Amino acid sequence: MDKRSDHRGPRLLRPTRRAALQLGGAAVAMPFIARLAYAQKGPVNVGVVLPLSGANAQFGVNSLRGIELAAEQINKAGGIKALGGAPINLVVADSTSTPTTAATVGQRLITQNSVVAILGAYASSLSIALSEVTERRDIPLLTMSFSDQITSRGFKNIFQVVAKASTLGRAQLTETAEIAKDAGQTLQRVAIMYEDTAYGTSQAAGIRETAKQTGITIVMDEAYPLGITDVTPLINKLRGADAQAVFPASYLNDGLQIIRSMRQQRIGIPVIGGAGGYIIPDFKQGLGEFAEGVLSIAPGSHDLAPELTAEFRQRHGYFMTHEALEHAVCLSVLVQAIETSGKADPAAIRDTLHTTRFDQGWAKAMTGGAVKFDQTGLNTLSEPLMVQWQGDDLVTVGPSKYAKKKPIWTA
Amino acid sequence: MRPSLVLAAVALTVAALLPLTLDPAGYLIRVLTVTLLFAAMSQAWNIVGGLANQMSLGHAAFFGIGAYTSTILLVNYGLSPWIGMLAGAALGAAFAALVSVPTMGLRGHYFALATLAFGEVMRVIANSWPSLTGGPAGISVPFAPDSLLMLQFKSTLPYYYLMLAALVLVTAVFVVTKAGALGYRLRAVKENPDAAEVVGVDTARVKTIAAVMSGGIMAALGTAYAQFTFFFDPETVFGLGPISIRVALIAILGGIGTAAGPIVGAFVIIPLEELANSWLSAGTAGLSQLVYGILLMLIILVQPRGLVAPVEALAARWRTRRAR
Amino acid sequence: MVVIQALVDGILIGGVYAVVSIGLTLVFGVMGIVNFAQAEFLMLGMFVGYLAWAWLGLDPLIGSVIAFAVVFALGCVVQHTLIRRVLRAPPVAQIFLTVGLLIVIENAALLGFGSQFRSVTTPYQTSALRLGDLFISVPYLAAFLMSVVSGLALWLFMNRSWYGRAMRATAQDGMAASLMGIDADRMRRIAFGLGVGLTAFGGAVILPYFTVHPTVGAQFVVLMFTVVVLGGLGSVAGAIVGGQAVGIIQSLSAMAFPVQLQNLVLFLVFITVLALRPQGLVGGAR
Repeated sequence: MDKRSDHRGPRLLRPTRRAALQLGGAAVAMPFIARLAYAQKGPVNVGVVLPLSGANAQFGVNSLRGIELAAEQINKAGGIKALGGAPINLVVADSTSTPTTAATVGQRLITQNSVVAILGAYASSLSIALSEVTERRDIPLLTMSFSDQITSRGFKNIFQVVAKASTLGRAQLTETAEIAKDAGQTLQRVAIMYEDTAYGTSQAAGIRETAKQTGITIVMDEAYPLGITDVTPLINKLRGADAQAVFPASYLNDGLQIIRSMRQQRIGIPVIGGAGGYIIPDFKQGLGEFAEGVLSIAPGSHDLAPELTAEFRQRHGYFMTHEALEHAVCLSVLVQAIETSGKADPAAIRDTLHTTRFDQGWAKAMTGGAVKFDQTGLNTLSEPLMVQWQGDDLVTVGPSKYAKKKPIWTA
Repeated sequence: MRPSLVLAAVALTVAALLPLTLDPAGYLIRVLTVTLLFAAMSQAWNIVGGLANQMSLGHAAFFGIGAYTSTILLVNYGLSPWIGMLAGAALGAAFAALVSVPTMGLRGHYFALATLAFGEVMRVIANSWPSLTGGPAGISVPFAPDSLLMLQFKSTLPYYYLMLAALVLVTAVFVVTKAGALGYRLRAVKENPDAAEVVGVDTARVKTIAAVMSGGIMAALGTAYAQFTFFFDPETVFGLGPISIRVALIAILGGIGTAAGPIVGAFVIIPLEELANSWLSAGTAGLSQLVYGILLMLIILVQPRGLVAPVEALAARWRTRRAR
Repeated sequence: MVVIQALVDGILIGGVYAVVSIGLTLVFGVMGIVNFAQAEFLMLGMFVGYLAWAWLGLDPLIGSVIAFAVVFALGCVVQHTLIRRVLRAPPVAQIFLTVGLLIVIENAALLGFGSQFRSVTTPYQTSALRLGDLFISVPYLAAFLMSVVSGLALWLFMNRSWYGRAMRATAQDGMAASLMGIDADRMRRIAFGLGVGLTAFGGAVILPYFTVHPTVGAQFVVLMFTVVVLGGLGSVAGAIVGGQAVGIIQSLSAMAFPVQLQNLVLFLVFITVLALRPQGLVGGAR
């Protein structure tokens, strides 16, 4: 198609090689200057790697807001006491929504900014890619990504503050069966539909597994491509499936489309979302009254600790989303580990994280009121919660020991 | 000795010695390693995109095949990634031959869009076949101690040399191909396919050979990438934006069809992305990408034929003057 | 019954795919440029429609006219300042200018509008018409009707107005058109504005059932290319046929295969059509 581009011989290699080296040299020189600036003593550098642009930007931004809130509170309260009041200095990097970038910026934070630990990176694929770097550099990584893979690889420097996806999937089904039973219905036939991402598939696997054990029949089991532009085929299948409840796992746009299409076709069976887009304020805004009664599983909830999360709502005008909350927990736990070990040293922090039970600060907002990691780095105290849209608010309705209100089941 | 060779030798020496001054597991060396890898990938693309002038937007298909083949063989059978790399390259080459069949008659934009569809097909397959690929959850290279045989290292330094060697090899393949009989035939096809047929060039065969070479190399680089990052998912290796468009962009920005183009392109684009990210991403979300995008457009507006073009023009003028 | 339902759904959504893609094919037809940033103009159209709803209380179906006007103007500016400069550059440079444009628009939107997902609430978005056992989604039907209207309007414009004829003349031979006293530069500017404006119009039309956020374009870009190439790159009638084809393929394939594979089926059809009929389903040899 293009007849004008060049086709001369390789003799021309010469001048351009030089150009390449010069450009490379410039790129090499600049971060060196950056390194000098950070090499001084004083604040404790904590790395934050989050998707601040790209498809997951909204969740990255919320997460960052949670971390910033926690950092401000800690610094205002006098910094890290064990280090003579050293303040927390957050070094934030955008992972975009690409795993390779997450790994590269992680490397940068470790070597250029001498961070003692890293928090992030929301999406499981980003966190896993990032953990490959932190593990090899022996830097603790605290994450709220829920993929099972996070803590199943035998890594020593990774800490997952929430329950795993398969646990979430299991609870999603058993909790629902419980709620249905209380309302006098036996759950026998369910439908699952999920986006084909790490999050959707692993959660669906949890539901599938549990259904098999508990004798519940899955009458519809459909993955759909991320970024689907028309959910009607899914809803048509759902209409023909005769399910008693539907379990969708998706981010916001698909979630809204699914519920709207269901309402169009007068399908009134209960919807039990799989976290993601079902438990953010935009869900309620997008659906209005149609959000009422939608249930979802959640790894954490703002109403377990209103005294802590109120400030977030005051500042940003909406409730503290679970990703914001859990990221605040990550930072708070990290700081408690530094206080306990008495030094800002990655190895010491890691050992403390593995052995200590953290029940101060934001850790109180988690189920069990504390965080305790096992040897794989999984927080053993974290239990999935069942939340429901009631009125304008997302409230915890299960398990009963955490419930703030009674669940509403409209069979 | 030709000046270009001397310069290439000097550049190579510098590239070989440079990491000795850097932290072997640091950030800079990682950026350089990624840059070298993308330069090599772009150079592989250049065989089809530059020599045959077939604007492929589906090279991620081959890259992903290489990454998945070696990793699946390693995870399931414990096979060394070196063997996996060969297997991947063979599969990548075979897939390139397969892609060539329906796309052979297509020109320009149609070729670009057909190859794009092939890349997307591979992504969908990788996503929907979890028993083989691990599905959307991705696949991890099992953690192993440092070993050349298993192509796994804790430090970034060995990967740097691996990518450097890959770049040198691919560039050599490109230069030799371009100067050889295949290169002349490809040029004839590129200039005027009908005329080439008339003088006896089997255009279909020539294009397929170029595609197979390019696809095989791309797949081998996929293995190198998998061993370097230890984890990937379908979107990362089969992605349109992260791989297909990026490798084409690098070659085009540097100078399509030239040996130096992809190298220059990679050494501009990758560090540019990194710098934009490291300076701006802590502030406002989106700012670093915005600046990056503006710079991209500026480069294309100022130098639509690639960064190598003006230097080449200068060199050509210098040569004519000397010849006089 | 199930098949008819799927067919109806496919036709309705296909109309929407057609209208967002007509602009892409128009830009290609008149300027020979493959615009990778086209879907970003869809996103801008959605944002304009959203803001018209949020600030002025306008229904997105009415807001779509504003979306068209705003993005039309923006398109003229973009064509004049950027695209015009690469018309004589190698095609690869043109493609990648639009890739740069894509990155810039997406991130400018992120900076300007924030990363939130935004969606409108309209009274009809959760209602459907019932014809016996058939469900016809009202927002889909509305979007479909708007698409038909805009398609007709474009057809009239291109075939009945002086501008349309001048634009087609420019597309065929810019030099000759100039000699006939047509301002070819102006025609290209208007064609680009019209192209992205129509896509933006389509963006606002789908707002009643689709959420807008800065990266929403990524969900549509490959789909739009599939539509225009299936129909025949550069042909307006082709975009309509292509849109219908994509809608129906997606909808029907879901009955035989898992929904997850709907794009696989689509791309295989796409590759097959390209290999057998590179000029697309509509139109003769180009």
